Amino acid sequence: MQTIKKDLVIIGGGPAGLAAAVSAKKKGLSDILLIERDRILGGILNQCIHDGFGLHTFKEALTGPEYAQRYIDEFQSLGIEAMPETIVLSLDKDRTLTVSSKKGFLKIQANAVILAMGCRERTAGAISLPGTRPSGVYTAGAAQNFVNLQNIMIGKHIVILGSGDIGLIMARRMTLEGAKVEAVFELLPTPSGLARNVQQCLNDYNIPLFLSTSVFELHGKDRLTGVTVAQVDEKFQMIHETKRFVPCDTLLLSVGLIPENELSLNAGVRLEPATSGASVDDRFMTSIPGIFSCGNVLHVHDLVDHVSEEASLVGQSAVAYLQNKTDSATAIPVVPKQDIRYVLPQKISGKEDVTLSLRVTRPMRNASIQVKDGDRKVAKKKLVRLHPAEMIRIKVKAKHIENAEKLEVSVQC
Amino acid sequence: MENQYDVIIIGAGVVGNAIARELSKTCVSVAVIEKELDVSMGTSSRNSGVIHSGIHYKPGTLRASLNVLGNSLMADLCQDLKVKIDYIGKLTVAQDEEEVKSLYMLKDQGEANGVPGLEILDPDAMEKIQPNVGGIKALHSPSTGIICPYSLTIALAENAHANGCRFYLGHEVTSIKKTGHGFEIEAGKKKLTSRVLINSAGLYSAEICRMLGINNYQIYPCRGEYLILDKRLKGALNLLVYPAPHTGKAGLGIHLTNTVSGNILIGPSNEYQEDPEDYACTADIMAQLRREGHVLLPELKTADFIRSFSGLRPKQTPPEIGGFKDFVIESREDVKGFINLVGIESPGLTSSPAIALMVRDMVEKLLPLTPKTGFNGTRSGMTNHFHELSNEEKADLVAENPDYGEVVCRCEQITRKEVLDAIENPLGVKTINSIKYRSRAMMGRCQGGFCLPRIVRILEKDFGYRPEDYLLKNRSSPLFFGKMRQDTP
Amino acid sequence: MLKKTLVCIVCPNGCDAEILMEEGQKAKILSIDGCTCDKGKEWVEQELTNPMRTIASGIPVENGDFKLVSVRTDAPIPLGKIFEVMAVIKQKKVKAPVSLGDKLIENPAGVACNIIATRNVAFTGTSLISVG
Repeated sequence: MQTIKKDLVIIGGGPAGLAAAVSAKKKGLSDILLIERDRILGGILNQCIHDGFGLHTFKEALTGPEYAQRYIDEFQSLGIEAMPETIVLSLDKDRTLTVSSKKGFLKIQANAVILAMGCRERTAGAISLPGTRPSGVYTAGAAQNFVNLQNIMIGKHIVILGSGDIGLIMARRMTLEGAKVEAVFELLPTPSGLARNVQQCLNDYNIPLFLSTSVFELHGKDRLTGVTVAQVDEKFQMIHETKRFVPCDTLLLSVGLIPENELSLNAGVRLEPATSGASVDDRFMTSIPGIFSCGNVLHVHDLVDHVSEEASLVGQSAVAYLQNKTDSATAIPVVPKQDIRYVLPQKISGKEDVTLSLRVTRPMRNASIQVKDGDRKVAKKKLVRLHPAEMIRIKVKAKHIENAEKLEVSVQC
Repeated sequence: MENQYDVIIIGAGVVGNAIARELSKTCVSVAVIEKELDVSMGTSSRNSGVIHSGIHYKPGTLRASLNVLGNSLMADLCQDLKVKIDYIGKLTVAQDEEEVKSLYMLKDQGEANGVPGLEILDPDAMEKIQPNVGGIKALHSPSTGIICPYSLTIALAENAHANGCRFYLGHEVTSIKKTGHGFEIEAGKKKLTSRVLINSAGLYSAEICRMLGINNYQIYPCRGEYLILDKRLKGALNLLVYPAPHTGKAGLGIHLTNTVSGNILIGPSNEYQEDPEDYACTADIMAQLRREGHVLLPELKTADFIRSFSGLRPKQTPPEIGGFKDFVIESREDVKGFINLVGIESPGLTSSPAIALMVRDMVEKLLPLTPKTGFNGTRSGMTNHFHELSNEEKADLVAENPDYGEVVCRCEQITRKEVLDAIENPLGVKTINSIKYRSRAMMGRCQGGFCLPRIVRILEKDFGYRPEDYLLKNRSSPLFFGKMRQDTP
Repeated sequence: MLKKTLVCIVCPNGCDAEILMEEGQKAKILSIDGCTCDKGKEWVEQELTNPMRTIASGIPVENGDFKLVSVRTDAPIPLGKIFEVMAVIKQKKVKAPVSLGDKLIENPAGVACNIIATRNVAFTGTSLISVG
């Protein structure tokens, strides 16, 4: 088998991989290879034809393909090498990759690797949905692929389980195409998707959203004929008296995304239970030296702008690592406390300013995020609305944490 | 002549197909009629996939003798058919002295049935075979194996087909008439005739009997639900571990089962159903299986449950009686030429090659069976999936055929070539499930979220599918409702 | 007086705007609270008088490397006009190649906007190849 050498290999040509490649190239690194399993670059953005991308990065409301194209254009004008229609079969801790394509098998020895594989959708099996196994049950993203890329009508009477953004976007999309979206059901007491999507995808079209309500059974031996739904109590247990049958021919699932970390595990990268992504330092380096992670494979983002920004930093970090410009200073752990579900990076050097990304555990109003070193407050951000669906970022200045031992992040009401 | 056969077999499950293949070694003309669009759509694909040793059945019963013979025939059969089988062995574990007694009873019973290599192990020996197994003694049965049950069923059908057997898939038998020379069978829109008729209709076997005026059989479908676990847990179990049997229980108890593909199954449950096609999974049983799974496999996480399924056992005893009744395999005197198989539940999969031999002998008493010179019992293709090969073997295959280089299903690492082979299967089945069962694409942790759109595209580009042509499993289970926009005039 | 709340959709922050309005036929806004930017305030005023939306869809392409070219309105359109505009989009077919930004429909249903392509679609000679 042929073996080639590369300074930097990026796995995945979606928004994270593209931004990482572009920033690494701009930092002066020349020997970069981006591996993409599809024919074209852009990843999931290719099927996200709705607008709302790029408000932070480009100050414009772009659609997914437009947003992707800006990065693809830059990637191509910088002359970065891409290997499309190629899948990475394995990744070792010494950063050796085995890749496969129609052209054959190839081993690649990389000095640094950036993981940018994105995430996958949770399925009916993953949420142990009882009932029959008929046709007409799709994850929202798969449905989006059929509708937006393959010109296929997936259903006429649609129920959506889960109020994640893709589900909300598909509710509007299918309505505009003439389908009847009966309702969206959400197990949690608050929507999982962005507030603006609830407004412009559901409210605009009078599609009802039932909170604290879930689907408890699928019906129909062949094609789906309907679902049993019911309200749930605080412990998410079904309230039997509220059980009702909702006829439909299609169920779309928008019940969460899972970082696609099989290759990371393959390499021995340590994962964090709270994010299902790698544990990283402020260079976004994983537990394996020279292997970095960014985008939805690191933690599921709600905005692509944040993915691009994070990935740009990672591209720069990888170059610094390759140029031996990073020192392995004592690491300061960053720990989630009161009302914080996770905070990332999980450890920082304390030598440079750092932006922490975090999510809260529950919706809150008029509260502040506090970062403390023992009793000393090192950063604070006041917010009107705090919601688990919306990632919060907070800057911590290096000068405030020089001799810090441990940073604790919490919500103070 | 068209539509006239020496032998017709009703039901394309593992037993029907094993009989078809056995008869395809001879010069008689054989057809299999199946109401579903594919083979292996009932009990044959919906079970634990265990090749039993034969310790559980009373000496002198058909279940005992056919199980032990079937088990011994399976290794060569699987080699010929390129079906993966793994004789990993089984530990039946006793927790107290009372259960130890039952282990010795099982050992004596197994030995009387001719089961090889049975041994009672003490905890030290158990620990060596399977760490942390618990219990005070265990019966080790090394001849217990695991197999992919639908792979075997499909392979039997394909090999029978390659040797001249005709398959009428999607043809439901609606009436059977006994004539002077044999039988007239109406199935789908076809009228077929045969000299010998074999009933291997599984859950519908009693119904087929009634079409011929035989009313003394009744099938009580008994559902078993399973959960499928992520391959991450592969290696947690070296061999099968069952609890020692308790008297008065119908099944073998909920347990973990390794599969040849590396997933672990939790199940099965035991619930009688009215409907012989009710393959639903229920909230209560799923919750119970999850609980038991966490006890049996402490490292199990919620994210490890990737899918659930259920199967139905064609039991001959109603719920109030329970337990097992012996297989019915009979050449009817009152309906000459009718060979009747009823109540082939566990260990039907293991017994299938032995049942085929037994039925072959019954057919021979009705028709002369001369060996066919051109019979080829070997199936072409690979036993292993592409991803199970060494890197060198893979590289060679990709060089030979670039379609091996393109991975379509990323979770199971199934290549485009394997998907194409599944689409172009010899039986000509074109459902999405037929591709799934043959290639394993869509069976991984993302359950087709990634590869179904790709497979849909392959079917469109290379096979001219229109949106309305995609069926999940039968004609009433379309995937789509046409094009979103008309793009052609 | 009438109290209304709206979730701002200008950006993903989704501010909760609280509006006090005078009751009557014509909406007269007395005060807007909760918006954290001027764009948001503008949007709230617009939303209460004449809500506007950008819509996205797809148009079949003949002989392209995508089956559909993704499209959007190049300016927000009145919420009440969405289905009329969609009806025009649904009738349209185009031929490859298409470039990002191409105006595919002008003033659909008389609405002041254009339907523009949001991706490049290359000419392939066959309409069956698609991507994803």
